[in-house]
Amino acid sequence: MSVVSYVRDIADAVKSTFEGMSITFSHLFRKPMTIQYPDKIPIPIQETLPRRYRGILEVDLDICTGCLACERDCPISCITIGIEMNKETKQRQFTHFDIDVCKCMYCGLCSEACPTGAIRHSQEFEGASYNPAGLVRHFAPTAQNLYKPKKGGETDPKMVTKVEIGLKYLDEFATPDGGGAAAEEAET
Amino acid sequence: MQAFIDQLIQDGAFAGVPKEVVYAIAMVLTALIVLSVFVAPLAGVTSWLERRVWARMQSRVGPNRVGPQGVLQWLADGIKNLLKEDLIPAAADAKLFSLAPYVVFMGFLCTFVVIPFGSSLIVADLNIGILYILAVTSLVVVGILMAGWASNNKWSLLGGMRSAAQIVSYEIPAGLALLNVVFIAGTMSMQGIIKAQGWAPWDWFLFNNPFIFAAFFLYFTAALAEGNRTPFDIPEAESELVAGYVTEYSGMRFLFFFFAEWGNLYVIGAVATTLFLGGWQVPPLPMFEDNPVLLGIAEFVTFFVKAYMWVFVAMWVRATLPRVRVDQLMALCWKYMVPLSFICLLGTIGFMFVPENLHRVISAATLGFAVAVMVVFLVRVVFQIRNAKPELYLKPHI
Amino acid sequence: MNDTAPASAGFYTEDMTISVGPQHPSTHGVLRFVVKTDGEVISEAIPDVGYLHRSIEKIGEKVTYHGYVPYTDRADYLAAMFANQAFCLAAERLAGTEVTRRGEFCRVIACELNRIASHLISVGTFGQDIGAMTPFVHALRERETINNLMEEICGARLTYNYIRIGGVGYDILPETCSRIAAFLDHFEPIVDEFNRLLSGNKIFIERLAGVAVVSKEDAFSYNLVGPNLRGSGVKWDIRRDIPYSIYPELEFEVPIGTAHVGVLGDSFDRYWVRIREMQESCKIVRQCLSMMPNGPAIAKVPRKFRPPAGECYARVEAPRGDMGFYVVSDGSEYPYRVRIRTGSYTAMSIIDKLSKGIMVADLIALIGSLDVDAPEIDR
Repeated sequence: MSVVSYVRDIADAVKSTFEGMSITFSHLFRKPMTIQYPDKIPIPIQETLPRRYRGILEVDLDICTGCLACERDCPISCITIGIEMNKETKQRQFTHFDIDVCKCMYCGLCSEACPTGAIRHSQEFEGASYNPAGLVRHFAPTAQNLYKPKKGGETDPKMVTKVEIGLKYLDEFATPDGGGAAAEEAET
Repeated sequence: MQAFIDQLIQDGAFAGVPKEVVYAIAMVLTALIVLSVFVAPLAGVTSWLERRVWARMQSRVGPNRVGPQGVLQWLADGIKNLLKEDLIPAAADAKLFSLAPYVVFMGFLCTFVVIPFGSSLIVADLNIGILYILAVTSLVVVGILMAGWASNNKWSLLGGMRSAAQIVSYEIPAGLALLNVVFIAGTMSMQGIIKAQGWAPWDWFLFNNPFIFAAFFLYFTAALAEGNRTPFDIPEAESELVAGYVTEYSGMRFLFFFFAEWGNLYVIGAVATTLFLGGWQVPPLPMFEDNPVLLGIAEFVTFFVKAYMWVFVAMWVRATLPRVRVDQLMALCWKYMVPLSFICLLGTIGFMFVPENLHRVISAATLGFAVAVMVVFLVRVVFQIRNAKPELYLKPHI
Repeated sequence: MNDTAPASAGFYTEDMTISVGPQHPSTHGVLRFVVKTDGEVISEAIPDVGYLHRSIEKIGEKVTYHGYVPYTDRADYLAAMFANQAFCLAAERLAGTEVTRRGEFCRVIACELNRIASHLISVGTFGQDIGAMTPFVHALRERETINNLMEEICGARLTYNYIRIGGVGYDILPETCSRIAAFLDHFEPIVDEFNRLLSGNKIFIERLAGVAVVSKEDAFSYNLVGPNLRGSGVKWDIRRDIPYSIYPELEFEVPIGTAHVGVLGDSFDRYWVRIREMQESCKIVRQCLSMMPNGPAIAKVPRKFRPPAGECYARVEAPRGDMGFYVVSDGSEYPYRVRIRTGSYTAMSIIDKLSKGIMVADLIALIGSLDVDAPEIDR
């Protein structure tokens, strides 16, 4: 090993250490990037998440038509729906609408398949439970009639907001005919 | 310290008790006080500070919930470890396994006897002070070998062997670097070395001549290697050997090893301050002349701040540098540091024959060089801050 | 005692057999190596894989084509977009579906952002294995911003299910595009800072230069792909040589190992190729953002996707190399067979050859530089 390479080794080591230490020292004067969740933030995190965020599934049963598209499309079979004809009222009713949240892959295929946007991903992600049975969400605790979408738009004032919210969730998905929000932005 | 006890005996405080017994009891009490009041909280707070400093260097926050700003985090960790199951592996050598942490702990604790906290605040001013420190810190090798062997685990054995080789090799550059100062000061006693320096930076041994300046960095690097700190923390290299020689340890025994490591950082800083940075020397201001208590406090604070600065530098180095490999570690010691320390030693000896006025010029030049390096460093830090801004707030809802 | 006898007379020595993993801080997932060593120098290191096997290929026979796309995310969760894309390419070629133009651009933006994220994890954990803990956290901080961007684009941070048959699942909105551009402006100086902190560090270079050198011939015979192959000096990139999507229209360089420190094909070269690829991906994303056309983001694809009977092999350039999906269709709505070819699985075969004569610390550096990761190996 020649003297030149010996001295160069030492010089390289000192120089790169010096440079590295100046970088770490400079970080002491910068703000940390940690978000101290959950107690030291001004608003709940759920309100900062976009509408597309695929959190835990929720179902607005009032606008569910019972088409079973979500149950068919789910690749992991976590949705179980039961529909029965009620003998007295001659209406079809839900007996159960269960989603096993610990099986769900959060893939979003069920919410894409829904025609009204009844099943969708909420912004909720804190779903820990002490027992697995607590993770099966029952969205039809009592028997309920199926929703029949009216031609020419919804007129019942109670249902109008629900239908609009469902359609807003559906707008997020890309469609083959010109694609939702982006095209509207481009036009305006 | 001895003078104080003698004074008390003369005043008749311990009538009827033989002098040796009084001395013995006083020594034990002092050791207990130093250990519980100074060393234990110091090691604990150092662990908290290390985590906060690393965190800020990594753009995150670090422990800040337990107590104000997280200052009691070490207490919570200590209590948690005390409550853990006392586990000794079935095939391990139980006696050596239990004894090893205490040997390591003793290795660094015995050095506190000669650390000068102030001009009269020292437990025992031995006239071989620095030699005693070098000798006693070698006890940790015995403890680490015991831990590695007694765990009956191949990983621990590998870690223990590596550590023994590392510590024993790095004693040599550390000792040689410290020898420079002993030559200039003419004494090995800690108080004597401090008294041979002055309070002002140009009177410190660090800027005395360029060879001592280089020797300081050699000492600091060798001391980091002896304390198993990155870049030389192969024995505890998490990513390679799980945890090296402490793999089988859990609970309080595990914590003892780290206790010793953080406390050792302070000893490194204290020795560096004593030998190179003027120790507890304060400027001779008029307010100190009438008030010995104030003087004592000022000296203590000066020493502590100077020593703790080197603890911070050790943490900073750990956050920055990667780890060297074991054979590179040995090559670094024997091929680079030992020859360089010999050159520094010869340079210092040659320097002692240089006439006085040339001496002063060279000291001033060394001080000027050190100041220039610091200025270049600060300029570089400003460049880093301006060049890359890690704070990117794309959706500032929070 | 006869003091002229050799020192080893009467001593019985044997090599230690150590198990590195499956629980180990730096085997990049659940991997196990059975290592024979004499204390420092390794004589043999045999990989033992299969701890993370989840039968993803078998599941392909039970779910529909649309339903299988989320499963492909899990084949390599650090580079999920690429597995999505490879499977969708295979299905599209089987059925003859054409992807819309805007869909192609969205795919490339998402894939290149995912490549940057995957390489950040790779170089960050590599630095962590070598002992430098700060660059790892800095890399993760940047990856968090990319995760936030992905969350805006498709709603998920790790398993995206974004690239669908015929295009993409969600359109990229203009404000997301401006945020992506802001991120790229911020990210390029950060890569330079990362290089100053880690890649230029003498200790880091000494640990990696000349360690575990893979020659060109070995790289071919052991079937290495991706940055591992390019680190040995071979200019092979699927985006250039078997082009798919809109890569022929984009201008970017394919970085190869240059041996500016050490030997060609050593660990530092493979690491350096990844750093340069991150910079090239930034260029690609910028070009896509500026060239993005309007239009639908997904083509019309039947809900019950039934490609005609046949087979197709589609390859993409994933961060860990060449990821290939071989799909056999029998005309029904479930695939007949799905086979996934990943770069990490073949990289495991070279570890035993390279590890003869290196030290345990170098084995860790070798595994990190090959960027193997367990979900890809075991699927």
